[in-house]
Amino acid sequence: MVDERSKGTEEADLSSPPLSPSPSPLPSLLSAKALSKNFGGIRVVDRASLDVRQGSITGLIGPNGAGKTTLFNLLSNFIRPNDGEVIFAGEPIQHLQPHQIAQRGLVRTFQVARVLSKLSVMENMLLAAQNQTGENFWNVWLRPGQSVREERHHRERASELLESVGLAHMAQAYAGALSGGQRKLLEMARALMVRPKLILLDEPAAGVNPTLINQICDHIIRWNQEGMTFLVIEHNMDVIMSLCDRVWVLAEGRNLASGTPAEVQHDPKVLEAYLGQ
Amino acid sequence: MQGYIVFLVIFTAIYAVFGLGLNLQWGYTGLINFGHVAFMVLGAYTTVLLSLRGVPLIVATMVGAGVAALLGLLIGFATLRLRTDYLAIVTIGVSELLRLIALNEQWLTRGTFGIQRFPLPLANFIPTMSVRILMMAVLTLIVGMGYWRWWKWLRRQVKDIPSEALLKSAPTALGYVASLGILVFGIGAIAKHLKSSNAIPDWGLGLFLVAAFAIVIVSYHILTKRVSTKLSAWSSGLLLVCHFLLAALGLWIFGVSASAIYDYDQNPAKNGLMFVSVVTLALIFWGLERLVESPWGRILKAIREDEEVAKALGKNVFWYKLQSLMLGGAIAGIAGALYAWQLTTVFPKNFEPLVTFNAWTIVVLGGAGNNTGTLLGAAIFWAYEAITRFILEDIIPLNESQLNAFRIMVIGLLLMGLMVWRPQGILGKKEELTLGR
Ligand SMILES: Nc1ncnc2c1ncn2[C@@H]1O[C@H](COP(=O)(O)OP(=O)(O)OP(=O)(O)O)[C@@H](O)[C@H]1O
Ligand SMILES: [Mg+2]
Repeated sequence: MVDERSKGTEEADLSSPPLSPSPSPLPSLLSAKALSKNFGGIRVVDRASLDVRQGSITGLIGPNGAGKTTLFNLLSNFIRPNDGEVIFAGEPIQHLQPHQIAQRGLVRTFQVARVLSKLSVMENMLLAAQNQTGENFWNVWLRPGQSVREERHHRERASELLESVGLAHMAQAYAGALSGGQRKLLEMARALMVRPKLILLDEPAAGVNPTLINQICDHIIRWNQEGMTFLVIEHNMDVIMSLCDRVWVLAEGRNLASGTPAEVQHDPKVLEAYLGQ
Repeated sequence: MQGYIVFLVIFTAIYAVFGLGLNLQWGYTGLINFGHVAFMVLGAYTTVLLSLRGVPLIVATMVGAGVAALLGLLIGFATLRLRTDYLAIVTIGVSELLRLIALNEQWLTRGTFGIQRFPLPLANFIPTMSVRILMMAVLTLIVGMGYWRWWKWLRRQVKDIPSEALLKSAPTALGYVASLGILVFGIGAIAKHLKSSNAIPDWGLGLFLVAAFAIVIVSYHILTKRVSTKLSAWSSGLLLVCHFLLAALGLWIFGVSASAIYDYDQNPAKNGLMFVSVVTLALIFWGLERLVESPWGRILKAIREDEEVAKALGKNVFWYKLQSLMLGGAIAGIAGALYAWQLTTVFPKNFEPLVTFNAWTIVVLGGAGNNTGTLLGAAIFWAYEAITRFILEDIIPLNESQLNAFRIMVIGLLLMGLMVWRPQGILGKKEELTLGR
């Protein structure tokens, strides 16, 4: 699985020769500066910074309890930071509500996949579509035709996405009937249904069987080639190695290192953080 | 008889409307509202007071609904950003607060004297024969559409069962239900006779009733087990028979109601109110069904399940909760107007927490998150009311206040039984309960 990276858009390959650690000219899509969060006096995230470039797959690793999930919560404003700044697509976003951040194109997933178990898989997908006419109370009455047309369109796209993650046959089942791995897939497909600019994936491979992990990686790479940017938390180093352009390492809430997967893997500080505890 | 059926239809419709509001808030959105009657108080008093000052009834009702929605807005702004239990507590408090205000602000509400002689809908309206036929046609249309939905649902339930098996089990089921009915009726008749003749002491009558019902329940329980193993389609047959019997009963009630419209001028106020309540219920039901099937309703259901997910997908959870609370409140406000018209005198005493409890009973009974279930819940609630008012009195050796306590006790027991055997409610889906997160 740890094969040579053969992905990346052609432009990216042309502009930045492989294995070159020099900063690529791609603009940054998300950058967090000196984010901090205290939980009852304990500093869980401590002046952490992070940068995700447009069109990349960026990794975020660190030992258990390093504060990675918390950092995701801070980025999407599910938890308000005590300090620091988040810039997404050129604008500061930390004053926005979580749903406004999602509407701007930054969608997060959860470490333990959260599906709406009493809705069908298809309804889970349809919910994610943005700017639906029928989401407005008055439009349900005033523009039923448009709402129905949109719904048909969303349904088609949802079917395609479900097809691509192998859940098409489950479309009408309750989402609660899915297995753990299938839920991860549904959550990912659902995030794509939003048509965001950036998706935050929290351990997409956790608790998923190896064959399925490969499938998930293939999907992520394909979606990335179609133009989606990803920020991925993952403990499985094989996955990180096969996916990521760049990796950020977090330990005890602080930035420890960043660089290409290969660089990071051989960084003595990183090895110490993982092994020396 | 006609008068009583009209009374029952009106109350069932009012409670169904009231329950539909709660079902939108709790069943579809997961908002715990323990003070639903607060919206009803506002709707009732606003409508009545405005109409006394000459505002047309329909406008007064709309304003009443609007004021109730405004209360939803206020409560929502105060609590919806906090944890869900705050809403539950605040709604209880607000409903009692409003009742106490109605009790004490006598310049406005006349307190315990109550407000009387306010305008009633269609009360002075003497329809010609053709208008009456039109009204009956409207009722028929509503009932017909209801039956059509019902039939489609029933057909889906028995779709997979071969018809020979159904044909075999249905007569047995009919016999089963009929014999059970006759037995219960017989016990009732004997008890009535014993009570009126004072042949045996009260405790003896009580003992007789308990023993007789215990024997019937146990023997029919055994019988059910026997039969259900022998007949493959037993439960479907029983379902069909029960639904056909209920449908027949419904048709009879419909017939009586239609004849009441025919004899409109015998009691214009009540007959008119019946028509208005049924039409209101039908409109609200239709509107809610449409809403909950729309993307708007999908967001409410998502919030009920997991609001973090809804947020992560870009939905303004707070705003949708507010809309649900306001719309449910407005619907309860309309129910309040109907309630006031039915009572013809509004006292603060009409709006005790028991009314909220009744709405919860109705929604839980029918199955949360199911509008049809709420209709069914309201019908069962009032059927129970009718049965206990008129039949138990003659049979059970208790005086009136004891009987009232007894009736509520039985509701509690029934709800407990429901929670044990069918926690999803009568029309709720079993699968939805067993699904984990
Ligand atoms: N809501 C909270 N209240 C108090 N402490 C918290 C809270 N959330 C997280 N923590 C603490 O913050 C630390 C970092 O947690 P976090 O979930 O971000 O770690 P993580 O890097 O995602 O770990 P893992 O790899 O195991 O998922 C942990 O020590 C945890 O106990
Ligand atoms: Mg984590």
